[in-house]
Amino acid sequence: MCAETGGTSLKQKDSSRETVILVTTNIIREKSKEGCFVLTEEVLSELVGRGFLESEKEEDRFAQASSILEEALNRNDDLRERKGKDGLSRYYSSLAMSEAYAALLTRKEEDLLFMVAEVIRENSAIYPRPVPLDIFIEPPFDLTQEEILECLGKMGQQAEYQDIARTTTSVGTVFLYSNRHLDPGHASMLAEWLDVGQANNP
Amino acid sequence: MAKHGGWAEKVLRVDLSSGRISTEDTIEKYKDFLGGTGIGYKVIWDEVPAGTKAFDPADKIIFGVGPLAGTGAPCNGRTAVTTLWPTCYPKPLVASGHMGGSFAAELKYAGYDAIIIEGKADRPVWISITDGKVEIKNARSLWGQGIRRTTIEISQIMGPEASVAAIGQAGENLIPMSVVMNSVSHSAGGVGGVMGSKNLKAIGVRGTGKVAIAGDKGEWEKLVKFHLSLLGANNQHVVPNSPQPWAEYFNPGSRWVASRGRQWGASQPGIDTGSCDPHDLNRIAYRTNNAAFYLGEKTWKYTVRGNGCTGCPIRCHTTVKVPSVSSKYGISEMGQNTCAGLLFGRSFFKTFPDGPRGETVIEACMVGMHIADDLGLWCNYGQMQRDFVKLYYTGKVKEKLDEKEFKSYSWDKYEKGDPAFLFELMPRIARREGELGTALGLGTGYLLERWGIPEPEWKEDKDLVYWHLGFPKHHANEDAGQCGVIINTQYNRDCQCHSHCNFVRSGLPIDVQKRLAAEIWGSPDAVDPIGAYTPMNVYKAKMAKWSVVRKELHDSLSICNWMGPWVASPLKERGYRGDDSLESMFYGLATGDKKSRQELDQAGERIFNLHRALTIRDMGTKGMRKAHDVIPAWVFKDPSGKPPLTKGTIHMDKEDIEKAMDMYYEEMGWDKETGLPPASTYQKLGLAKVAEELGKKGLLP
Repeated sequence: MCAETGGTSLKQKDSSRETVILVTTNIIREKSKEGCFVLTEEVLSELVGRGFLESEKEEDRFAQASSILEEALNRNDDLRERKGKDGLSRYYSSLAMSEAYAALLTRKEEDLLFMVAEVIRENSAIYPRPVPLDIFIEPPFDLTQEEILECLGKMGQQAEYQDIARTTTSVGTVFLYSNRHLDPGHASMLAEWLDVGQANNP
Repeated sequence: MAKHGGWAEKVLRVDLSSGRISTEDTIEKYKDFLGGTGIGYKVIWDEVPAGTKAFDPADKIIFGVGPLAGTGAPCNGRTAVTTLWPTCYPKPLVASGHMGGSFAAELKYAGYDAIIIEGKADRPVWISITDGKVEIKNARSLWGQGIRRTTIEISQIMGPEASVAAIGQAGENLIPMSVVMNSVSHSAGGVGGVMGSKNLKAIGVRGTGKVAIAGDKGEWEKLVKFHLSLLGANNQHVVPNSPQPWAEYFNPGSRWVASRGRQWGASQPGIDTGSCDPHDLNRIAYRTNNAAFYLGEKTWKYTVRGNGCTGCPIRCHTTVKVPSVSSKYGISEMGQNTCAGLLFGRSFFKTFPDGPRGETVIEACMVGMHIADDLGLWCNYGQMQRDFVKLYYTGKVKEKLDEKEFKSYSWDKYEKGDPAFLFELMPRIARREGELGTALGLGTGYLLERWGIPEPEWKEDKDLVYWHLGFPKHHANEDAGQCGVIINTQYNRDCQCHSHCNFVRSGLPIDVQKRLAAEIWGSPDAVDPIGAYTPMNVYKAKMAKWSVVRKELHDSLSICNWMGPWVASPLKERGYRGDDSLESMFYGLATGDKKSRQELDQAGERIFNLHRALTIRDMGTKGMRKAHDVIPAWVFKDPSGKPPLTKGTIHMDKEDIEKAMDMYYEEMGWDKETGLPPASTYQKLGLAKVAEELGKKGLLP
């Protein structure tokens, strides 16, 4: 599920089921540390690449991989599965990836507007604070400035996002907040504090 | 052979007037005051009479470290430098500067818990300490040199492992706004002139000894690892500033800036900071990059590494390499500092040609650091720069300078935000040259008096954040509402207390903060969301008391109050709890003197009450509440017109703050009307003799 898979160094020739389960578990944990889900297909490809699955038929190999994944999940409490809208399972390890981060990745895959809105809403609700628009440029969001503005433009036209509002600080930084959780005056004061005040009050 | 662990058990006394060098027993005389500021206040109380001026030979300067300095306890690199404060207006009162670096550990390894400097040398001198060998040396060749050259020359004599605490030309010229500095960038503000007044250029210290740990070594190692597991980034920010795979929360305002893809770009090869899972204790040093935090994303490419104090994995002094400044300004491309020191140059300017986040800002910081850290100038938490901006843009500078002096400055460069202007201004402050240089070097209170500006005018201006007695606020109502305000009334310089703000700036959601607050101070109501403050309550008063007590405890144990206390942690499995007993656990294991958290807090309270007693004695007033614990008018104003204690404002309500002070005094066991501790409070804290002396002077309630 990440652009670069960056394989692990583990290279096993022993293809016993135990070893394959261990390798699969490690693949998921390592990918989670990198902030990535793992798809069944990716596990399959890794295992084939390492010579663990020797069945010639693609469907047999896929079934084998699925069975190994199921057993890995049964044996390791940290391994989790999330089903995407496409019906495919995503695997991750809660030792290396928080539920919050996993939810963020899911939203990013499925509905960019919803993801942006939920990040804004959550920050407004639980801290509370507005967030600078630029955070969506950073990983794991990885949006361009144009994409963010496009998102916000679309949100402006959809009823379910009418709570998403903007405030601009004295040095021109745009912050976003949800008016369900923050009133405009509070949001504007907090944005100025976060953008200008905090750095000037070390 | 040491009888206790932790302490070196000797205090070094150097009388510069007579040349006499002696030692005294730490345990016998100072154990109840632990070390650091505790020893400093005790010496000033016992030996420096009320009415002494900061630059009088009768004033003393105490470099104090604590029983945890030089041990393996994390964040143990602080040295407290205590004396009468030269910028304290209208009269000097006791205060301390705090420097990190390597000085504290070296002093312990040399066998001392403190150095008491007294008298005045008849010629420039420096003190060389190599273990038990202490010499007063001629500093003729060093006088007139900057801190860098002084440090290098002394290091060539003593060896590269020596730690050199030196003053620059500013201290020599008795500029109140001056520092002493060790290890390139670690300064204690405000005390350079006091050293200069004693003709003391530097102290070089080299120790080859060790600090004994009284307790079980295995337990000690376990405790160190436990403490490391609770550490966040600088200022104990416990969540990262962007979403990380392992993290449940993030906070764009966090100093935990590490992330996969963020690189120390000027190291060779570039080093990726990675996502820094808090369980990976070998990557704690990658979490913080204060240059990037303060100067923006583009500073990553200039980052060489994190640097910092002995025994501290946080590395909050970021080393940067900015090649353009060598050719443009003729200064070293390397620089290193943190917080206000990093911002020294930038803060003089209102605008920059390429905006508030352009390259010129970084250049201004580099130029400012280069000059200030060599001349040994102090910014008073940015107050020097705020004063200058205000005075220039309101026409006061033009009004107060004669035409020749005014024209000698390139004001066009200044208004454009050209960092080269700093070469015109800053050296003149250090040389006490001209009216502007002289006035800016005095400190705010004396500057205002010299220029005939009423102090209340400064106290009205929210942007100046001037507080009182010549100092600015330092984490006041913007951080923890009433609690921050109370703390800011308690000292004779900017309070430098981080106990409260490290908690409220931790980055944790408000519900988590409230849960932790309930465990520590008795109620979730001790903390509010920023800018949504609720009326005063007793739990906020408890938090305020705890904050100052822990600050004094840290300053006396040599634990960094810029990091601790550790009541929050990055660990989800602990419910983000830190541990409020770390200090007492470390103290007990290091010294062998087992104390509960409450018992050790009482030592902190004792030390703080001695500071209070000194302030009362030297002010000579019973009216501390009205004369000392003053709150400036700007705290009660908001240009937006929002009522206090409503959402969207941090300004305070006068009546509510009076109630806050009442509750705080009650928590402290002080008289509400006067703000004076009664004899019973002093007695309870083991300060009966202090009470007796104040009683004789009529300074008890």
